[in-house]
Amino acid sequence: MILTGNAIIKAVQANEISFDPFVTDQVNPNSMNYRIGDELYVLNEGLLDPKQEKTFTQLVFGKNGYVLEPGKLYLGHTKEKIGSQMYVPKLIGRSSVGRLGLFLQVTADLGQLGAAHQWTLELRVVQPLRIYPGMKIGQVSFWTVMGDIEKTYIGGYTAHNLPAGHVAGRTIT
Amino acid sequence: MILTGSEIQQQVAKGAITIRPFDPACLTTNSYDFHLSDQIITYKNNVLDVKQEQEVIVHTIPDEGFILEPGILYLGSTQEVIGSDFFVPTVHGKSSTGRLGLFVHITAEIIDIGSLNQFTLMFNATQPVRVYKGMKIGQVTFWKPSGEITIYNGKYKGLNGPQKSQIFKDFS
Repeated sequence: MILTGNAIIKAVQANEISFDPFVTDQVNPNSMNYRIGDELYVLNEGLLDPKQEKTFTQLVFGKNGYVLEPGKLYLGHTKEKIGSQMYVPKLIGRSSVGRLGLFLQVTADLGQLGAAHQWTLELRVVQPLRIYPGMKIGQVSFWTVMGDIEKTYIGGYTAHNLPAGHVAGRTIT
Repeated sequence: MILTGSEIQQQVAKGAITIRPFDPACLTTNSYDFHLSDQIITYKNNVLDVKQEQEVIVHTIPDEGFILEPGILYLGSTQEVIGSDFFVPTVHGKSSTGRLGLFVHITAEIIDIGSLNQFTLMFNATQPVRVYKGMKIGQVTFWKPSGEITIYNGKYKGLNGPQKSQIFKDFS
């Protein structure tokens, strides 16, 4: 089952969901809005090979924002640390950005049960679009699970607070 | 939990789900197929900015159909008015449109509980693809929520037809 906004608030208060910093004006009927942080990267051009480490270039993403261009893949991150050991998070965009042709997350919107961290966002646009750091860009919903929770996520991206793209394990505190 | 087709039909009969007009023939095993209205909008500007209100061009789909081109964002809408105060709708394309490389929504497939209107569809074509008014273009599923419900009261409440982004209001 998907948690309602009121159920998300209760779960945050009971420490079953981490959403830090938490502000109630980001609560929707059945999700929480998250903001985009101020580090933005672009995937360098060229043939991609999953066996080789990918390279990214960090972009200047200040108060004037940045114009995302079609045909490129950008990595950003949530400003908030988000996670839950009890509910499965699903990170998507808001309809207000979808209506401007911005895809957030490429195919893998389903998170893992586990510790809270700043999530990496994968951004792609249909037409050029200027976005700004700190704007409310997406929403996360939380889903109840069925079955014993035997293990939580301990994969390569666990501590992945920066959108550095690979298992380099850079973190910020 | 996701509702089966027969459960969707029962909830429509009880008034807990609205799909208007409703045709039982459009029920699938666990979703309902919706149809494309005859309105499509595009933005006048090529370069968009979340802080600026965008002007739109309104197109009416002619009988011979309307070609969606890659690289251009199109907003359409469902013919049906859809919503529920008790279940969370999610929007999906149909596999038959997906196999043509056509996205019918972008990023925000989860609809707020209590929202009731014609869904705005967000089209992104991989190759040029012709669409027709009244065609089955996507499907809606319904999910049971957990927790106390607060009804949607946001910017798009009750607005029908393709609705442009109102995100600029976040910055005013």
